[in-house]
Amino acid sequence: MRALRFTLALLLVASAAAAAVTIPPVDYRHRVLANGLEVYSVQDRSTPTVAIHVWYRVGSKDDPAGRSGFAHLFEHIMFKSTKNMKSEMMDRLTEDVGGFNNAMTLDDATAYYELVPSNYLETLLWAEAERMGSLNVDEANFNSERDVVKEEFRFRVLAPPYGRLFYAIDRDSFSAHPYRRPGIGSIEDLDAATLEDVKSFHATYYRPDNAVLIVSGDFDQKQLDAWVDQYFGPIAKPETKIPRVDVKEPARTEEKRVDELVPNVPLPALAINWLIPNAAHPDAAPLVIAATILAEGESSRLQEKLVRGEIAQEVTADADLREDLGRFTVVAFMATGHQPPEAEKVIRAEIASIAAKGVTAAELEKAKNLFLTSALRERETSNGRAFALGEAVVIHEDAAAVNRGLEQIQAVTSADVQRVMKKYATDAKPVVIDYREKPAPAEAAAPAGGAR
Amino acid sequence: MKRALTFMLVALFAAGSLFAQQTTPPAPAAPREAKLPEAAEKTLANGLRVVVVPRAGVPLVAARVMIRTGAAADPAGRDGLAQLTSSVLTKGTKTRSAQEIARGVEALGATIETDAGWDSTSVDLSVMSPNLDKALEVVADVVRNATFAGKELELERAQAIDSMQVTLGQPGSVASLVATRLLFGDSPYGHSANGTPKSLARIRRDDLVAFHRNFYRPDNAALVLAGDVTPDAAFALAERLFGSWKKGAPVSAPAAPAQIEARRRVVVIDMPEAGQAAVVVARPGIRRTDPAYYRALVANSVLGGGYSARLNQEIRIKRGLSYGAGSSFQPRLYVGPFAARTETKNESAPEVADVIVAQMTGLASADVPETELTPRKAVLIGDFGQSLESAAGIVDRVSALALYGLPLREINGYVGNVQAVTAEQVRRFAASNLRGEDATIVIAGDAKKFEEQLRKQFESVEVIPIADLDLNSPTLRMRKAKG
Repeated sequence: MRALRFTLALLLVASAAAAAVTIPPVDYRHRVLANGLEVYSVQDRSTPTVAIHVWYRVGSKDDPAGRSGFAHLFEHIMFKSTKNMKSEMMDRLTEDVGGFNNAMTLDDATAYYELVPSNYLETLLWAEAERMGSLNVDEANFNSERDVVKEEFRFRVLAPPYGRLFYAIDRDSFSAHPYRRPGIGSIEDLDAATLEDVKSFHATYYRPDNAVLIVSGDFDQKQLDAWVDQYFGPIAKPETKIPRVDVKEPARTEEKRVDELVPNVPLPALAINWLIPNAAHPDAAPLVIAATILAEGESSRLQEKLVRGEIAQEVTADADLREDLGRFTVVAFMATGHQPPEAEKVIRAEIASIAAKGVTAAELEKAKNLFLTSALRERETSNGRAFALGEAVVIHEDAAAVNRGLEQIQAVTSADVQRVMKKYATDAKPVVIDYREKPAPAEAAAPAGGAR
Repeated sequence: MKRALTFMLVALFAAGSLFAQQTTPPAPAAPREAKLPEAAEKTLANGLRVVVVPRAGVPLVAARVMIRTGAAADPAGRDGLAQLTSSVLTKGTKTRSAQEIARGVEALGATIETDAGWDSTSVDLSVMSPNLDKALEVVADVVRNATFAGKELELERAQAIDSMQVTLGQPGSVASLVATRLLFGDSPYGHSANGTPKSLARIRRDDLVAFHRNFYRPDNAALVLAGDVTPDAAFALAERLFGSWKKGAPVSAPAAPAQIEARRRVVVIDMPEAGQAAVVVARPGIRRTDPAYYRALVANSVLGGGYSARLNQEIRIKRGLSYGAGSSFQPRLYVGPFAARTETKNESAPEVADVIVAQMTGLASADVPETELTPRKAVLIGDFGQSLESAAGIVDRVSALALYGLPLREINGYVGNVQAVTAEQVRRFAASNLRGEDATIVIAGDAKKFEEQLRKQFESVEVIPIADLDLNSPTLRMRKAKG
């Protein structure tokens, strides 16, 4: 219960192209209640608002068997009734007083968050404790919210031209780990979910020793500690063990190629990815820098070669870092008249070149500056700082990573980037997805060799 | 700024017993007042207006060069010119190539983004404060000295056409573009601001050069900065980088369009195999300088501005028919649109259209109860406060005031102006501006799954197959090929 205060030296970032920048560290306090709840607080009294986050260590990878999409559906249900709260009361306590609330379901965690005028801090601590302690949802509410999630599925997956691509990448990329199941689920699995599943999921995962409370913004430290004790302290820590995913994803032994043929694709796309270690691994930082050098900004390697080269309309590269393992993914959205294999050739050649020769000092510095500026933008607000801290604690499994992560990025060398591209990409096996329009039925039925 | 919110709590929590703190939410403490940012401004000799809003804490600056001309000035047949001009702007100057610009800016960790709205074009910079001078120098160079090289135009044109093709595969975008055309016809706000594959193909280099020469000028522009910068430093920098920018002949605003009439039309864009249908219900809205501006904001906040507004209550929360439903006014120099929109499974599109129309009309039929009106005002006030928590958000708010010639001190009046709107004003405003019966309805989706039902609900339904849709034409239909 003792509050620890971490005093952090300011991070000084020197740069040849510009003056040194001082990044204010996220200065957090940490304590653990007797029931296991971890509490972090970051004070900033410059504006009278406060962000309250509760991150649960349960995500889509914990979806029960035959219930893909359940952790996300459950997240929606958390806005329905509890013992002492009516459905949508969370909106009354946030939106109605000039704040907002939302939640997100990740592969590894589910985060619930609110930003409110700071005089409502106690109210929101009560409300978050309330839904951690109990859920009390009826069949009608459950069915209606499940319909909303099915519409979310249509909105994200079925309606946009590249929706089915992002839906397919995890499924095609992981062979054993539950990361392979789509977090949004499928209409079938959503239909199979029951109110009983909801109760059991809450009992299993929504408990103080599986949660992290983060309060960021305008508060009085002593008062905050007292309220946290008052509202969260009484929630019992269950005796049962928390189930954890322990499936090991096997290394890829061969290259895998997948054709995704779907309706409504105006221009084809290519996705290629390799497995990488987890977020806490020391190679995470060089992988992030590699992705930035490959595709962040118009002067990045792939933007110059593919977009300026008129092969693709857009290209992205991403070191998707998760708790168990991640994937390094490059996606090219093709330009008119160009096909995925052309993009694949260029992407593989660039990655091979980094693996063989490393990157230039200018590229390295540019990538670090881009990363830093975007971190600054995230950390401009109390809510943004709470997100950065939540990600460090839950995904990177180390609160100090919220500040150390920036230092690690600064320390990356060309040899590091070269080494990780060789180890995880050129010396390993990719999954390559060719995404394009499904031929119309009449065409498909035409005899082979028929005129077009 | 949150002071005015306190009285509402009484209404909300009066039912709770004072002694039952575990079963009812604890009441809020006394609110703390927020400090609004203070703007300093100066106009350079060449007419460039410079506004600075200092905000300490994070070593970050947001800056915008705002040109007071946008897509409304696209010449006939050149839909997308303002947007294309803004995107080729950063692709080369008299002294820097496209690649030198990108490399130079990105080496500083900065981003420069350009965008043409309807009434203005913006060149936005986000940069760590120690790098401000170097990055703003590039911004000044592209704004003043862009060369619009032919090969850069071809590159941007090809990308814009590809991106429009993808846009036209999304039911939501298609419904919005069609509603825009139906509302405004061939008047300045009627076309696609991003152009169409056809109009983009027609634009010539001379069009970009002329657009730039005519409108990118100090006396038709403003420079707005917010974040970790002092007014003195910003003014000195503005003088150094923009002081010698020459002004030209006066710029005239695009002519006012004819009065836009609300008119009931029901148009379906048939997109076979669309995974979801998009429903847009639109009407003419208001001008930004309309005295009813704050009434419109409050009315919309009740109807469709936010999660708990009536449209989302009825469509998502009560009926589970959508992931989200909402509405907004887009007040512009001239009358801009009002649009309510949602996406739903194809089969329920007609039901959702009915709900939206009924909710619009319902707002005019009875006063909004205070227990509903007060929280919906709080939503506006809260969003306003949140938008001022980032440097980019401040730049956005301040630029909008500068664009429409409104006093910057209006930012201090926002809370009071919202609070002053009464339930009766909302009802009267809705009666003249939000009637559902004469709103235009557009549904983009898989028509075979809802057309029959839709025809039962509405007298005349026009169906246009996506393959025949021509956004360049006020009739929306391709002319039939001869023979």
